[in-house]
Amino acid sequence: MKVEEIIKFLAEPVPEAQVDPVTKVIAFISRDFKIWWTYKLWIILDILGSLLFVATYYFVSKIVSPQALVNAGYAADFLTFTVIGIAFQNYVFSSVSGLSEAIREEQWDGTMETILSSRTSFRVFLLGESVFRFIVASYFLLASMSMGVLMGASFNLNFSSFLAAAVLTILLIVSHMVVGILGAGAILKLKQGDPIVWAFSWLTQLFSGVLYPLGLLPGYLQWVGAVFPLTYSLDGIRRCLMSGEGFSSLAILEDITKLGLFILILLPVSLWVFKKAYDSTRREGALGQY
Amino acid sequence: MKADKLIQLFKNDEPRLASPVRQLLGIIWANLKILLAYKSWLIMDLLSTVASVVMYYFVGLQVDPQRLVQTGWGTSYLAFSLIGVATSHYLWSCLTRLSHSIQHEIRGGTLETVAVTPVNMFVFFIGLTARGYLVSSIYLIGVFAVGIVGLGVRFILTAQSVATALLSFALMLIANQALGLIAAGIVMVHKRGDPVTFIVAAMNEFLAGVLYPLEMLKAFPILQGLSMMLPYAYALDAMRRSLMFGVSLADQNVFSDLSILFGSTVILVPLGLAVLQWGYRTIRRQGTTSSY
Repeated sequence: MKVEEIIKFLAEPVPEAQVDPVTKVIAFISRDFKIWWTYKLWIILDILGSLLFVATYYFVSKIVSPQALVNAGYAADFLTFTVIGIAFQNYVFSSVSGLSEAIREEQWDGTMETILSSRTSFRVFLLGESVFRFIVASYFLLASMSMGVLMGASFNLNFSSFLAAAVLTILLIVSHMVVGILGAGAILKLKQGDPIVWAFSWLTQLFSGVLYPLGLLPGYLQWVGAVFPLTYSLDGIRRCLMSGEGFSSLAILEDITKLGLFILILLPVSLWVFKKAYDSTRREGALGQY
Repeated sequence: MKADKLIQLFKNDEPRLASPVRQLLGIIWANLKILLAYKSWLIMDLLSTVASVVMYYFVGLQVDPQRLVQTGWGTSYLAFSLIGVATSHYLWSCLTRLSHSIQHEIRGGTLETVAVTPVNMFVFFIGLTARGYLVSSIYLIGVFAVGIVGLGVRFILTAQSVATALLSFALMLIANQALGLIAAGIVMVHKRGDPVTFIVAAMNEFLAGVLYPLEMLKAFPILQGLSMMLPYAYALDAMRRSLMFGVSLADQNVFSDLSILFGSTVILVPLGLAVLQWGYRTIRRQGTTSSY
Protein backbone atom coordinates (compact mmCIF):
# COMPACT_ATOMS: atom_id res chain seq x y z
CA MET A 1 0.00 0.00 0.00
CA LYS A 2 1.41 3.34 -0.96
CA VAL A 3 1.87 6.18 1.50
CA GLU A 4 -0.77 8.27 -0.31
CA GLU A 5 -3.24 5.42 0.02
CA ILE A 6 -2.55 5.11 3.75
CA ILE A 7 -3.05 8.84 4.21
CA LYS A 8 -6.27 8.68 2.21
CA PHE A 9 -7.42 5.73 4.28
CA LEU A 10 -6.74 7.48 7.59
CA ALA A 11 -7.83 10.98 6.56
CA GLU A 12 -11.04 12.23 8.05
CA PRO A 13 -13.42 14.28 5.94
CA VAL A 14 -12.85 18.01 6.38
CA PRO A 15 -15.90 19.42 8.16
CA GLU A 16 -17.98 21.53 5.82
CA ALA A 17 -19.42 23.88 8.38
CA GLN A 18 -16.93 26.27 9.89
CA VAL A 19 -17.52 28.45 12.90
CA ASP A 20 -16.86 32.05 11.96
CA PRO A 21 -14.08 33.90 13.85
CA VAL A 22 -16.50 36.33 15.54
CA THR A 23 -18.45 33.48 17.13
CA LYS A 24 -15.20 31.92 18.28
CA VAL A 25 -14.01 35.17 19.87
CA ILE A 26 -17.38 35.52 21.62
CA ALA A 27 -16.99 31.95 22.87
CA PHE A 28 -13.56 32.86 24.28
CA ILE A 29 -15.06 35.91 26.02
CA SER A 30 -17.93 33.87 27.43
CA ARG A 31 -15.55 31.20 28.75
CA ASP A 32 -13.21 33.75 30.34
CA PHE A 33 -16.10 35.64 31.88
CA LYS A 34 -17.40 32.45 33.52
CA ILE A 35 -13.98 31.71 35.00
CA TRP A 36 -13.54 35.33 36.13
CA TRP A 37 -16.97 35.44 37.75
CA THR A 38 -16.18 32.31 39.80
CA TYR A 39 -13.67 34.26 41.87
CA LYS A 40 -15.95 37.05 43.12
CA LEU A 41 -13.86 37.82 46.19
CA TRP A 42 -10.81 38.39 43.99
CA ILE A 43 -12.83 40.79 41.83
CA ILE A 44 -13.78 42.88 44.86
CA LEU A 45 -10.27 42.80 46.30
CA ASP A 46 -8.69 43.68 42.96
CA ILE A 47 -10.86 46.77 42.78
CA LEU A 48 -10.06 47.61 46.39
CA GLY A 49 -6.35 47.28 45.56
CA SER A 50 -6.66 49.74 42.65
CA LEU A 51 -8.58 52.15 44.84
CA LEU A 52 -5.95 52.01 47.59
CA PHE A 53 -3.31 52.88 45.02
CA VAL A 54 -5.28 55.94 43.90
CA ALA A 55 -5.94 56.92 47.52
CA THR A 56 -2.19 56.74 48.25
CA TYR A 57 -1.51 59.31 45.56
CA TYR A 58 -4.33 61.49 46.85
CA PHE A 59 -2.24 61.94 50.00
CA VAL A 60 1.00 62.33 48.04
CA SER A 61 -0.68 65.08 45.98
CA LYS A 62 -1.06 67.11 49.20
CA ILE A 63 2.69 67.63 49.42
CA VAL A 64 3.40 68.05 45.71
CA SER A 65 3.90 71.32 43.90
CA PRO A 66 2.22 71.35 40.46
CA GLN A 67 4.92 73.59 38.96
CA ALA A 68 6.57 70.75 37.01
CA LEU A 69 3.19 69.90 35.45
CA VAL A 70 2.60 73.50 34.43
CA ASN A 71 6.09 73.65 32.89
CA ALA A 72 5.23 70.54 30.86
CA GLY A 73 2.05 72.13 29.51
CA TYR A 74 -0.49 70.28 31.66
CA ALA A 75 -3.11 71.69 34.03
CA ALA A 76 -1.83 72.30 37.57
CA ASP A 77 -3.50 69.24 39.09
CA PHE A 78 -1.18 66.47 40.30
CA LEU A 79 -4.01 64.22 41.49
CA THR A 80 -5.75 64.16 38.09
CA PHE A 81 -2.37 63.74 36.39
CA THR A 82 -1.47 60.68 38.48
CA VAL A 83 -4.97 59.18 38.43
CA ILE A 84 -4.83 59.13 34.61
CA GLY A 85 -1.25 57.80 34.70
CA ILE A 86 -1.95 55.02 37.20
CA ALA A 87 -5.30 54.04 35.70
CA PHE A 88 -4.00 53.75 32.13
CA GLN A 89 -0.68 52.14 33.10
CA ASN A 90 -2.57 49.51 35.11
CA TYR A 91 -4.95 49.17 32.19
CA VAL A 92 -2.28 48.29 29.68
CA PHE A 93 -0.21 46.24 32.13
CA SER A 94 -3.11 44.09 33.29
CA SER A 95 -4.27 43.51 29.70
CA VAL A 96 -0.79 42.74 28.40
CA SER A 97 0.24 40.55 31.33
CA GLY A 98 -3.23 38.98 31.25
CA LEU A 99 -2.59 37.70 27.74
CA SER A 100 0.72 36.13 28.78
CA GLU A 101 -0.84 34.63 31.91
CA ALA A 102 -3.70 33.22 29.85
CA ILE A 103 -1.29 31.49 27.49
CA ARG A 104 0.70 30.18 30.43
CA GLU A 105 -2.48 28.78 31.98
CA GLU A 106 -3.48 27.15 28.69
CA GLN A 107 -0.04 25.52 28.61
CA TRP A 108 -0.40 24.29 32.19
CA ASP A 109 -3.88 22.92 31.62
CA GLY A 110 -2.93 21.42 28.28
CA THR A 111 -5.80 23.19 26.53
CA MET A 112 -3.72 25.29 24.14
CA GLU A 113 -2.66 22.27 22.11
CA THR A 114 -6.28 21.14 21.95
CA ILE A 115 -7.55 24.50 20.72
CA LEU A 116 -4.78 25.05 18.21
CA SER A 117 -5.16 21.52 16.84
CA SER A 118 -8.73 22.41 15.94
CA ARG A 119 -9.64 24.63 12.99
CA THR A 120 -8.87 27.78 14.97
CA SER A 121 -6.12 29.98 13.62
CA PHE A 122 -3.55 31.42 16.01
CA ARG A 123 -4.79 34.94 15.14
CA VAL A 124 -8.30 34.11 16.36
CA PHE A 125 -6.78 32.38 19.39
CA LEU A 126 -4.73 35.46 20.26
CA LEU A 127 -7.65 37.81 19.72
CA GLY A 128 -9.93 35.59 21.76
CA GLU A 129 -7.44 35.43 24.63
CA SER A 130 -6.89 39.22 24.56
CA VAL A 131 -10.38 40.69 24.28
CA PHE A 132 -11.70 39.67 27.68
CA ARG A 133 -8.50 40.89 29.42
CA PHE A 134 -9.10 44.32 27.91
CA ILE A 135 -12.76 44.27 28.97
CA VAL A 136 -11.80 43.49 32.58
CA ALA A 137 -9.00 46.03 32.48
CA SER A 138 -11.51 48.65 31.26
CA TYR A 139 -13.68 47.86 34.26
CA PHE A 140 -10.74 48.54 36.60
CA LEU A 141 -9.86 51.66 34.63
CA LEU A 142 -13.34 53.05 35.21
CA ALA A 143 -13.18 52.12 38.91
CA SER A 144 -9.85 53.93 39.35
CA MET A 145 -11.05 57.01 37.46
CA SER A 146 -14.29 57.12 39.48
CA MET A 147 -12.31 56.84 42.71
CA GLY A 148 -10.11 59.69 41.47
CA VAL A 149 -13.17 61.85 40.82
CA LEU A 150 -14.52 61.08 44.30
CA MET A 151 -11.21 62.22 45.76
CA GLY A 152 -11.19 65.47 43.84
CA ALA A 153 -9.66 64.75 40.43
CA SER A 154 -11.30 66.98 37.84
CA PHE A 155 -11.71 66.24 34.15
CA ASN A 156 -12.28 68.95 31.58
CA LEU A 157 -14.23 67.25 28.79
CA ASN A 158 -16.02 68.48 25.71
CA PHE A 159 -17.27 66.59 22.66
CA SER A 160 -14.06 67.02 20.64
CA SER A 161 -11.77 66.12 23.56
CA PHE A 162 -13.94 63.11 24.38
CA LEU A 163 -13.68 61.87 20.77
CA ALA A 164 -9.93 62.43 20.71
CA ALA A 165 -9.56 60.58 24.04
CA ALA A 166 -11.62 57.68 22.63
CA VAL A 167 -9.41 57.48 19.51
CA LEU A 168 -6.28 57.60 21.66
CA THR A 169 -7.62 54.85 23.91
CA ILE A 170 -8.31 52.59 20.91
CA LEU A 171 -4.80 53.24 19.61
CA LEU A 172 -3.48 52.54 23.11
CA ILE A 173 -5.25 49.17 23.14
CA VAL A 174 -4.04 48.10 19.70
CA SER A 175 -0.48 49.30 20.29
CA HIS A 176 -0.30 47.32 23.53
CA MET A 177 -1.69 44.19 21.96
CA VAL A 178 1.55 44.30 19.96
CA VAL A 179 3.53 44.08 23.22
CA GLY A 180 1.22 41.35 24.51
CA ILE A 181 1.68 39.28 21.36
CA LEU A 182 5.47 39.58 21.64
CA GLY A 183 5.26 38.44 25.27
CA ALA A 184 3.01 35.55 24.31
CA GLY A 185 5.55 34.47 21.66
CA ALA A 186 8.30 34.56 24.29
CA ILE A 187 6.21 32.36 26.61
CA LEU A 188 5.55 29.81 23.88
CA LYS A 189 9.28 29.34 23.41
CA LEU A 190 10.71 29.96 26.89
CA LYS A 191 7.92 28.15 28.84
CA GLN A 192 8.39 30.35 31.85
CA GLY A 193 7.59 33.75 33.28
CA ASP A 194 7.38 36.54 30.84
CA PRO A 195 10.43 38.78 30.94
CA ILE A 196 9.15 40.97 28.09
CA VAL A 197 5.98 41.95 29.96
CA TRP A 198 7.88 42.56 33.20
CA ALA A 199 10.50 44.68 31.49
CA PHE A 200 7.72 46.54 29.75
CA SER A 201 5.99 47.19 33.06
CA TRP A 202 8.90 48.76 34.91
CA LEU A 203 10.31 50.55 31.89
CA THR A 204 6.97 52.25 31.21
CA GLN A 205 6.54 53.14 34.88
CA LEU A 206 9.92 54.79 34.79
CA PHE A 207 10.06 56.40 31.38
CA SER A 208 6.51 56.95 30.14
CA GLY A 209 5.59 59.68 32.60
CA VAL A 210 3.08 57.74 34.69
CA LEU A 211 3.73 59.71 37.89
CA TYR A 212 5.71 62.70 36.64
CA PRO A 213 6.06 64.72 33.45
CA LEU A 214 8.87 63.50 31.20
CA GLY A 215 10.54 66.92 31.39
CA LEU A 216 11.86 65.92 34.82
CA LEU A 217 13.99 63.17 33.30
CA PRO A 218 17.48 64.14 32.20
CA GLY A 219 17.76 64.66 28.43
CA TYR A 220 19.71 61.44 27.89
CA LEU A 221 16.85 59.40 29.42
CA GLN A 222 13.95 61.16 27.72
CA TRP A 223 14.52 59.31 24.43
CA VAL A 224 13.81 55.99 26.21
CA GLY A 225 10.24 57.13 26.86
CA ALA A 226 9.86 57.95 23.16
CA VAL A 227 10.09 54.22 22.37
CA PHE A 228 6.93 53.30 24.29
CA PRO A 229 3.41 53.84 22.95
CA LEU A 230 2.19 54.49 26.51
CA THR A 231 4.17 57.75 26.52
CA TYR A 232 2.18 59.17 23.59
CA SER A 233 -1.12 57.71 24.78
CA LEU A 234 -0.73 59.20 28.26
CA ASP A 235 0.35 62.58 26.89
CA GLY A 236 -2.60 62.72 24.48
CA ILE A 237 -5.20 61.42 26.92
CA ARG A 238 -4.05 63.84 29.63
CA ARG A 239 -4.28 66.77 27.23
CA CYS A 240 -7.83 65.69 26.31
CA LEU A 241 -9.05 64.96 29.82
CA MET A 242 -7.22 67.65 31.77
CA SER A 243 -7.11 70.58 29.35
CA GLY A 244 -10.07 69.77 27.08
CA GLU A 245 -7.88 69.71 23.95
CA GLY A 246 -9.25 67.93 20.88
CA PHE A 247 -8.25 67.10 17.30
CA SER A 248 -7.35 70.72 16.65
CA SER A 249 -4.39 70.41 19.03
CA LEU A 250 -1.11 69.82 17.22
CA ALA A 251 0.29 67.88 20.19
CA ILE A 252 -2.64 65.45 20.09
CA LEU A 253 -2.38 64.97 16.32
CA GLU A 254 1.31 64.29 16.76
CA ASP A 255 0.56 61.67 19.46
CA ILE A 256 -2.05 60.00 17.24
CA THR A 257 0.35 59.90 14.27
CA LYS A 258 3.15 58.38 16.33
CA LEU A 259 0.83 55.73 17.79
CA GLY A 260 -0.48 54.93 14.29
CA LEU A 261 3.07 54.54 12.99
CA PHE A 262 3.99 52.32 15.94
CA ILE A 263 1.06 50.02 15.17
CA LEU A 264 1.70 50.00 11.41
CA ILE A 265 5.32 48.98 11.85
CA LEU A 266 5.20 46.71 14.87
CA LEU A 267 1.90 44.85 14.56
CA PRO A 268 3.06 42.80 11.52
CA VAL A 269 6.45 42.28 13.20
CA SER A 270 4.88 40.99 16.42
CA LEU A 271 2.53 38.68 14.51
CA TRP A 272 5.50 37.39 12.51
CA VAL A 273 7.51 36.77 15.70
CA PHE A 274 4.59 34.98 17.32
CA LYS A 275 4.02 32.89 14.16
CA LYS A 276 7.70 31.89 14.13
CA ALA A 277 7.58 30.90 17.81
CA TYR A 278 4.27 29.11 17.25
CA ASP A 279 5.50 27.18 14.19
CA SER A 280 8.74 26.23 15.88
CA THR A 281 6.90 25.04 19.02
CA ARG A 282 4.48 23.05 16.87
CA ARG A 283 7.32 21.50 14.91
CA GLU A 284 8.96 20.44 18.18
CA GLY A 285 5.63 19.07 19.36
CA ALA A 286 5.98 21.21 22.48
CA LEU A 287 2.69 23.13 22.48
CA GLY A 288 1.48 21.18 25.49
CA GLN A 289 4.74 21.34 27.39
CA TYR A 290 5.36 23.73 30.25
CA MET B 1 0.01 -12.80 68.42
CA LYS B 2 -0.16 -9.88 70.80
CA ALA B 3 -0.58 -6.35 69.59
CA ASP B 4 2.81 -5.36 70.96
CA LYS B 5 4.47 -8.06 68.91
CA LEU B 6 2.62 -6.96 65.79
CA ILE B 7 3.71 -3.39 66.32
CA GLN B 8 7.24 -4.57 66.86
CA LEU B 9 7.05 -6.55 63.64
CA PHE B 10 5.98 -3.58 61.58
CA LYS B 11 8.31 -1.21 63.28
CA ASN B 12 11.13 -0.01 61.08
CA ASP B 13 14.53 0.91 62.24
CA GLU B 14 14.75 4.14 64.08
CA PRO B 15 14.77 6.87 61.41
CA ARG B 16 17.88 8.97 61.18
CA LEU B 17 16.84 12.25 62.68
CA ALA B 18 18.60 15.34 61.50
CA SER B 19 18.92 18.13 64.01
CA PRO B 20 16.40 21.00 63.64
CA VAL B 21 19.19 23.23 62.33
CA ARG B 22 20.07 20.72 59.60
CA GLN B 23 16.39 20.35 58.74
CA LEU B 24 16.04 24.12 58.50
CA LEU B 25 19.11 24.41 56.30
CA GLY B 26 17.76 21.63 54.08
CA ILE B 27 14.41 23.38 53.63
CA ILE B 28 16.09 26.72 52.94
CA TRP B 29 18.44 25.05 50.44
CA ALA B 30 15.49 23.42 48.64
CA ASN B 31 13.71 26.76 48.40
CA LEU B 32 16.87 28.51 47.28
CA LYS B 33 17.27 26.01 44.45
CA ILE B 34 13.71 26.70 43.30
CA LEU B 35 14.35 30.44 43.51
CA LEU B 36 17.57 30.19 41.50
CA ALA B 37 15.81 28.11 38.85
CA TYR B 38 13.97 31.28 37.80
CA LYS B 39 16.99 33.39 36.92
CA SER B 40 15.21 35.70 34.49
CA TRP B 41 12.70 36.53 37.24
CA LEU B 42 15.52 37.31 39.64
CA ILE B 43 17.16 39.63 37.16
CA MET B 44 13.85 41.33 36.42
CA ASP B 45 13.22 41.73 40.16
CA LEU B 46 16.60 43.38 40.61
CA LEU B 47 16.03 45.71 37.68
CA SER B 48 12.58 46.63 38.91
CA THR B 49 14.14 47.42 42.31
CA VAL B 50 16.36 49.99 40.67
CA ALA B 51 13.44 51.29 38.62
CA SER B 52 11.19 51.75 41.65
CA VAL B 53 13.77 53.82 43.53
CA VAL B 54 14.54 55.98 40.52
CA MET B 55 10.80 56.47 40.01
CA TYR B 56 10.36 57.81 43.54
CA TYR B 57 13.36 60.06 42.98
CA PHE B 58 11.48 61.74 40.13
CA VAL B 59 8.25 61.85 42.13
CA GLY B 60 10.29 63.48 44.88
CA LEU B 61 11.39 66.22 42.48
CA GLN B 62 7.76 67.36 42.38
CA VAL B 63 7.34 67.45 46.13
CA ASP B 64 7.22 70.91 47.65
CA PRO B 65 9.92 70.74 50.39
CA GLN B 66 8.04 73.40 52.35
CA ARG B 67 4.94 71.23 52.59
CA LEU B 68 7.03 68.21 53.63
CA VAL B 69 8.73 70.31 56.33
CA GLN B 70 5.30 71.31 57.65
CA THR B 71 4.54 67.62 58.26
CA GLY B 72 7.73 67.36 60.31
CA TRP B 73 9.75 65.16 57.96
CA GLY B 74 12.52 67.44 56.71
CA THR B 75 13.00 68.33 53.06
CA SER B 76 13.96 65.04 51.41
CA TYR B 77 10.98 63.12 50.10
CA LEU B 78 13.31 60.51 48.61
CA ALA B 79 14.81 59.73 52.03
CA PHE B 80 11.29 59.58 53.46
CA SER B 81 9.92 57.26 50.76
CA LEU B 82 13.09 55.13 50.52
CA ILE B 83 12.60 53.76 54.04
CA GLY B 84 8.96 52.98 53.28
CA VAL B 85 9.65 51.36 49.92
CA ALA B 86 12.63 49.31 51.19
CA THR B 87 10.72 47.84 54.14
CA SER B 88 7.33 47.35 52.47
CA HIS B 89 8.68 44.28 50.64
CA TYR B 90 9.39 42.74 54.05
CA LEU B 91 5.89 43.61 55.18
CA TRP B 92 4.43 41.64 52.26
CA SER B 93 6.79 38.73 52.96
CA CYS B 94 5.83 38.61 56.63
CA LEU B 95 2.12 38.80 56.02
CA THR B 96 1.65 36.71 52.90
CA ARG B 97 4.67 34.47 52.28
CA LEU B 98 3.91 31.66 54.73
CA SER B 99 0.23 31.30 53.87
CA HIS B 100 1.07 31.44 50.17
CA SER B 101 3.83 28.81 50.52
CA ILE B 102 1.61 26.52 52.56
CA GLN B 103 -1.12 26.72 49.91
CA HIS B 104 1.51 25.95 47.31
CA GLU B 105 2.69 22.91 49.30
CA ILE B 106 -0.90 21.73 49.78
CA ARG B 107 -1.59 22.07 46.05
CA GLY B 108 1.61 20.24 45.20
CA GLY B 109 0.72 17.50 47.69
CA THR B 110 4.06 17.98 49.46
CA LEU B 111 2.72 19.23 52.80
CA GLU B 112 1.25 15.81 53.53
CA THR B 113 4.48 14.11 52.48
CA VAL B 114 6.55 16.30 54.78
CA ALA B 115 4.01 15.95 57.58
CA VAL B 116 4.47 12.16 57.72
CA THR B 117 8.26 12.42 57.99
CA PRO B 118 10.00 13.16 61.27
CA VAL B 119 10.61 16.75 60.12
CA ASN B 120 9.70 19.23 62.82
CA MET B 121 6.79 21.15 61.27
CA PHE B 122 7.64 24.31 63.14
CA VAL B 123 11.08 24.19 61.55
CA PHE B 124 9.45 23.46 58.19
CA PHE B 125 7.26 26.56 58.45
CA ILE B 126 10.26 28.71 59.40
CA GLY B 127 12.08 27.32 56.36
CA LEU B 128 9.16 28.25 54.11
CA THR B 129 9.26 31.87 55.26
CA ALA B 130 13.01 32.09 54.78
CA ARG B 131 12.73 32.39 51.00
CA GLY B 132 10.56 35.50 51.36
CA TYR B 133 13.04 37.02 53.79
CA LEU B 134 15.90 36.29 51.43
CA VAL B 135 14.22 38.01 48.47
CA SER B 136 13.15 40.94 50.65
CA SER B 137 16.70 41.33 51.96
CA ILE B 138 18.05 41.51 48.41
CA TYR B 139 15.37 44.09 47.65
CA LEU B 140 16.11 46.11 50.80
CA ILE B 141 19.86 46.18 50.13
CA GLY B 142 19.20 47.06 46.47
CA VAL B 143 16.85 49.92 47.37
CA PHE B 144 19.23 51.43 49.93
CA ALA B 145 22.24 50.96 47.64
CA VAL B 146 20.55 52.72 44.73
CA GLY B 147 19.18 55.46 46.99
CA ILE B 148 22.33 56.15 48.98
CA VAL B 149 25.08 55.47 46.44
CA GLY B 150 23.25 56.23 43.20
CA LEU B 151 20.93 59.08 44.16
CA GLY B 152 22.80 60.65 47.07
CA VAL B 153 20.25 60.19 49.86
CA ARG B 154 21.81 61.20 53.18
CA PHE B 155 20.89 59.36 56.37
CA ILE B 156 22.32 60.13 59.80
CA LEU B 157 24.12 56.90 60.56
CA THR B 158 25.47 56.87 64.12
CA ALA B 159 25.80 53.77 66.27
CA GLN B 160 22.74 54.80 68.25
CA SER B 161 20.54 55.69 65.28
CA VAL B 162 21.42 52.51 63.40
CA ALA B 163 20.83 50.38 66.51
CA THR B 164 17.45 52.05 67.05
CA ALA B 165 16.48 51.55 63.40
CA LEU B 166 17.52 47.89 63.53
CA LEU B 167 15.57 47.33 66.74
CA SER B 168 12.46 48.93 65.19
CA PHE B 169 12.94 46.82 62.08
CA ALA B 170 13.31 43.61 64.09
CA LEU B 171 10.18 44.36 66.13
CA MET B 172 8.31 45.17 62.92
CA LEU B 173 9.31 41.81 61.45
CA ILE B 174 8.29 39.89 64.56
CA ALA B 175 4.93 41.64 64.94
CA ASN B 176 4.02 41.30 61.26
CA GLN B 177 5.28 37.72 61.03
CA ALA B 178 2.97 36.93 63.92
CA LEU B 179 0.10 38.33 61.84
CA GLY B 180 1.40 36.16 58.98
CA LEU B 181 1.20 33.09 61.27
CA ILE B 182 -2.43 33.90 62.03
CA ALA B 183 -3.15 34.22 58.30
CA ALA B 184 -1.37 30.92 57.59
CA GLY B 185 -3.33 29.07 60.28
CA ILE B 186 -6.63 30.32 58.87
CA VAL B 187 -5.64 29.65 55.24
CA MET B 188 -4.66 26.06 56.12
CA VAL B 189 -8.08 25.29 57.54
CA HIS B 190 -10.31 27.28 55.20
CA LYS B 191 -8.18 26.54 52.09
CA ARG B 192 -8.81 30.01 50.76
CA GLY B 193 -8.05 33.35 52.27
CA ASP B 194 -5.11 34.37 50.17
CA PRO B 195 -7.19 37.30 48.83
CA VAL B 196 -7.87 38.48 52.38
CA THR B 197 -4.17 38.27 53.26
CA PHE B 198 -3.44 40.26 50.11
CA ILE B 199 -5.82 43.04 51.03
CA VAL B 200 -4.60 43.14 54.65
CA ALA B 201 -1.08 43.66 53.33
CA ALA B 202 -2.26 46.33 50.86
CA MET B 203 -4.21 48.13 53.61
CA ASN B 204 -1.13 47.98 55.84
CA GLU B 205 0.99 49.52 53.12
CA PHE B 206 -1.58 52.24 52.49
CA LEU B 207 -2.41 53.14 56.09
CA ALA B 208 1.10 52.92 57.53
CA GLY B 209 2.32 55.82 55.39
CA VAL B 210 4.82 54.15 53.08
CA LEU B 211 4.65 57.01 50.57
CA TYR B 212 3.12 59.91 52.47
CA PRO B 213 3.39 61.34 55.99
CA LEU B 214 0.70 60.04 58.32
CA GLU B 215 0.06 63.62 59.42
CA MET B 216 -2.06 63.83 56.22
CA LEU B 217 -4.56 61.45 57.79
CA LYS B 218 -5.53 63.95 60.49
CA ALA B 219 -8.43 65.09 58.33
CA PHE B 220 -9.72 61.49 58.22
CA PRO B 221 -10.17 60.27 61.81
CA ILE B 222 -11.36 56.76 60.83
CA LEU B 223 -8.32 56.17 58.62
CA GLN B 224 -6.07 57.65 61.28
CA GLY B 225 -7.62 55.36 63.90
CA LEU B 226 -7.04 52.32 61.67
CA SER B 227 -3.48 53.38 60.98
CA MET B 228 -2.79 53.60 64.74
CA MET B 229 -3.68 49.92 65.02
CA LEU B 230 -0.88 48.83 62.69
CA PRO B 231 2.53 47.84 64.09
CA TYR B 232 4.11 48.75 60.74
CA ALA B 233 3.06 52.41 61.15
CA TYR B 234 4.99 52.67 64.44
CA ALA B 235 7.99 50.83 63.02
CA LEU B 236 8.15 53.17 60.01
CA ASP B 237 7.86 56.21 62.25
CA ALA B 238 10.71 55.00 64.50
CA MET B 239 12.94 53.96 61.59
CA ARG B 240 12.44 57.28 59.82
CA ARG B 241 13.12 59.31 62.96
CA SER B 242 16.29 57.37 63.72
CA LEU B 243 17.72 57.34 60.18
CA MET B 244 16.57 60.78 59.02
CA PHE B 245 17.09 62.74 62.26
CA GLY B 246 19.67 60.54 64.00
CA VAL B 247 17.62 60.16 67.17
CA SER B 248 17.83 57.13 69.43
CA LEU B 249 15.67 55.30 71.91
CA ALA B 250 15.99 58.29 74.24
CA ASP B 251 13.71 60.29 71.93
CA GLN B 252 10.20 60.39 73.33
CA ASN B 253 8.46 59.60 70.01
CA VAL B 254 10.77 56.69 69.22
CA PHE B 255 10.46 55.32 72.74
CA SER B 256 6.70 55.48 72.49
CA ASP B 257 6.76 53.79 69.03
CA LEU B 258 8.99 50.99 70.26
CA SER B 259 6.95 50.46 73.41
CA ILE B 260 3.80 50.00 71.34
CA LEU B 261 5.67 47.71 68.93
CA PHE B 262 7.01 45.65 71.82
CA GLY B 263 3.53 45.42 73.33
CA SER B 264 2.17 44.27 69.94
CA THR B 265 4.75 41.52 69.64
CA VAL B 266 4.06 40.31 73.20
CA ILE B 267 0.36 39.94 72.31
CA LEU B 268 0.66 38.82 68.68
CA VAL B 269 3.43 36.22 68.82
CA PRO B 270 1.71 33.76 71.21
CA LEU B 271 -1.56 34.36 69.37
CA GLY B 272 0.07 33.71 65.98
CA LEU B 273 1.76 30.53 67.20
CA ALA B 274 -1.49 29.31 68.72
CA VAL B 275 -3.49 29.92 65.53
CA LEU B 276 -0.81 28.25 63.37
CA GLN B 277 -0.77 25.23 65.69
CA TRP B 278 -4.57 25.11 65.70
CA GLY B 279 -4.63 25.25 61.88
CA TYR B 280 -2.06 22.50 61.48
CA ARG B 281 -3.66 20.21 64.06
CA THR B 282 -7.09 20.77 62.52
CA ILE B 283 -6.05 19.75 59.00
CA ARG B 284 -4.17 16.74 60.36
CA ARG B 285 -7.22 15.65 62.35
CA GLN B 286 -9.53 16.22 59.38
CA GLY B 287 -7.10 14.51 57.02
CA THR B 288 -7.11 17.52 54.67
CA THR B 289 -3.37 18.18 54.44
CA SER B 290 -3.56 17.70 50.71
CA SER B 291 -7.07 19.00 49.98
CA TYR B 292 -7.53 22.39 48.38
